[in-house]
Amino acid sequence: MSTCAVRLNQLSKQYPHSVKRAVADVSFEIEEGAVFGLLGPNGAGKSTTVMMLCGLMRPDSGSISVFGLDMPENGVDVRKRVGVAPQEIALFPMLTAYENLFYFGRMYGMGSSDINSQIKRYLSEFGLNEKKNKIVATFSGGMKRRLNLIAALLHKPKLVILDEPTAGVDVQSRNMILGFLESLTNEGTTIIYSSHILEEAERICSHLAIIDEGKLITTGTRASILADHNDCKNLEQIFLKLTGKNIRD
Amino acid sequence: MKVFATIYKEFLLLIRDPGGMALIFIMPLALVIVMALVQDAPFRDYQELRLEVLFIDHDKDSLSAKVMTAFKASPNVNIVLKSDTIEAKRLVQAGKFKAAIVLPQNASADLRRKTRQLISNVFANFGLPAETDSAELPVIDIKIFFDPAIKSNYKQTLSGAVEKIAANVQTEWVLDELQQQLSEGRSETPEKITFDVSKIMRVNQRFASENRYQGLMLNSVQHNVPAWTMFAMFFILYPLAGNFIKEREEGSMLRLRLISGSQWPVITGKFSFYFLICLVQFLLMIAVGIYVMPWLGLTKLVLGSNPLGILVTACSVAMAATGYGVLIGVYFRTPQQALSFGSVSVVILSAIGGVWVPVYVMPEVLQQVSRFSPMSWGLESFNDLFLRQASISAILPNVLRLVGFALVALGTSVVIHKSRTVV
Repeated sequence: MSTCAVRLNQLSKQYPHSVKRAVADVSFEIEEGAVFGLLGPNGAGKSTTVMMLCGLMRPDSGSISVFGLDMPENGVDVRKRVGVAPQEIALFPMLTAYENLFYFGRMYGMGSSDINSQIKRYLSEFGLNEKKNKIVATFSGGMKRRLNLIAALLHKPKLVILDEPTAGVDVQSRNMILGFLESLTNEGTTIIYSSHILEEAERICSHLAIIDEGKLITTGTRASILADHNDCKNLEQIFLKLTGKNIRD
Repeated sequence: MKVFATIYKEFLLLIRDPGGMALIFIMPLALVIVMALVQDAPFRDYQELRLEVLFIDHDKDSLSAKVMTAFKASPNVNIVLKSDTIEAKRLVQAGKFKAAIVLPQNASADLRRKTRQLISNVFANFGLPAETDSAELPVIDIKIFFDPAIKSNYKQTLSGAVEKIAANVQTEWVLDELQQQLSEGRSETPEKITFDVSKIMRVNQRFASENRYQGLMLNSVQHNVPAWTMFAMFFILYPLAGNFIKEREEGSMLRLRLISGSQWPVITGKFSFYFLICLVQFLLMIAVGIYVMPWLGLTKLVLGSNPLGILVTACSVAMAATGYGVLIGVYFRTPQQALSFGSVSVVILSAIGGVWVPVYVMPEVLQQVSRFSPMSWGLESFNDLFLRQASISAILPNVLRLVGFALVALGTSVVIHKSRTVV
């Protein structure tokens, strides 16, 4: 029987000077080991939800529980179990790949040998071993994106939150990243995957949630959502059906 | 380990930033050298005053000889003889000379007559034989023409010197006249006693500190090296705050915010690294004061006799400077805001703190305001150590103020930093 990794209950957030809520009474659960796709158009409330999940923002109401620990009360313990790869490249450009990862490893509280073995593993896995002593500023967009992902995985988190992990990368890098994420779920890691690229979500996500204008439109397993909308050929069509075709800012 | 990792990371980032290295190490050295050279002349004005003064001698008698002799012995005045008063006034007006002293015609003869009249009147008043002279004699008018641009202290120094010479001559001549009139009518004239007025009373100038550094005064090097060293140390906010904001904008700070327990080590690590940089800056600037300044024709920086006190003060200034830099970096959200506010605030703190000019030459209001500048606390401590040979206990109040300032700045930074990271 699978256990619940993340539980959001009636989560709401309204920014100051804003007339409507960015997140409005959103509730869903994520099973441990699932790849959970958090989908929605621009301004739907995905990033706000993710920020509240990471403890970077306090909800106005509702509750968040991660591995049975309530947020934000247990934020410190939760964050030890969570790895986040933000959409922006959260690295030091003037440090080498190795120096970046070693520093973040240290900040996670890891020992030298543990950090080095993790760095060795992931740099090889992501094809960056030969570049480990190169300054990150000289890296291509795809290399930076892969390194950004490694930095989120170093401390062996049980929950990985990925915000547009393949933005701006070429097909080869995207394939490598998606392949890696699929293998990561085999190790029991739970993944929250926020993306605009529905094709990717359809490929790797076992569960999905679509939110729009702060509200949860639908959630469930990929198979159940596809089955519920059998008039649509793929996830993109379901997405457009549920969120409309109007351009969002 | 997290703090050491942050220190090492900051070290790597700094050595890969040549511009930042230059800003931290080369610019302050250039600044302290330039400021010491520029301010050398004004400091000499105050302490090593030597005026070029014209002397127009219409008297050409014993009084003018006395004046010449007295000025030749003076270390502050260099007399240049001129014969024409109008030409002398023109030269002074043109700023070629600071002043012109005009001794009127017959000044010696008039002074002799005045002293004779004075003594005769005294004798007559006491019923002693004397030739009374009731004529109203004119005041001997020694004129001094000053350059309109002359500093007030120059003017006072020269006027004081002329008045002193005139007073001494009058005293000597009164005594000579007294002896002469007393000896008149006697069959035996006693040998005339020569009076040296300087042997009657003298002003003995000493320094309050009694040790081997006695006599060391505030000069350009003694003022500018510690003053601009502190200025440079406070300017650490430029790379420090810039670094903070850059990391926020680049996103690396976001990752650190997502790592639990990293907030305090990040701030402490940055603080520690830049604190060490400040100390290195201090050592370099002091070395410049000792080894480079004499080579440039300036005086050598004298550190006094309390190396522990200097270390304690340097550490407390470094703490205050770094704490302030961290606060600016954490509080402001854009580099423009942080660096503009930071730079201007450091310039203001340095101006009221006595870095540009010593606090004692400022107006009273500013002297009161300067008490609130951490740079004033640091500079006062360094002056106490370098010039007054102060003990640790004497500098302790200022050291505690600096440390307090640092702790308040750092504490506030942590609160702000944490408030922006919810958990």
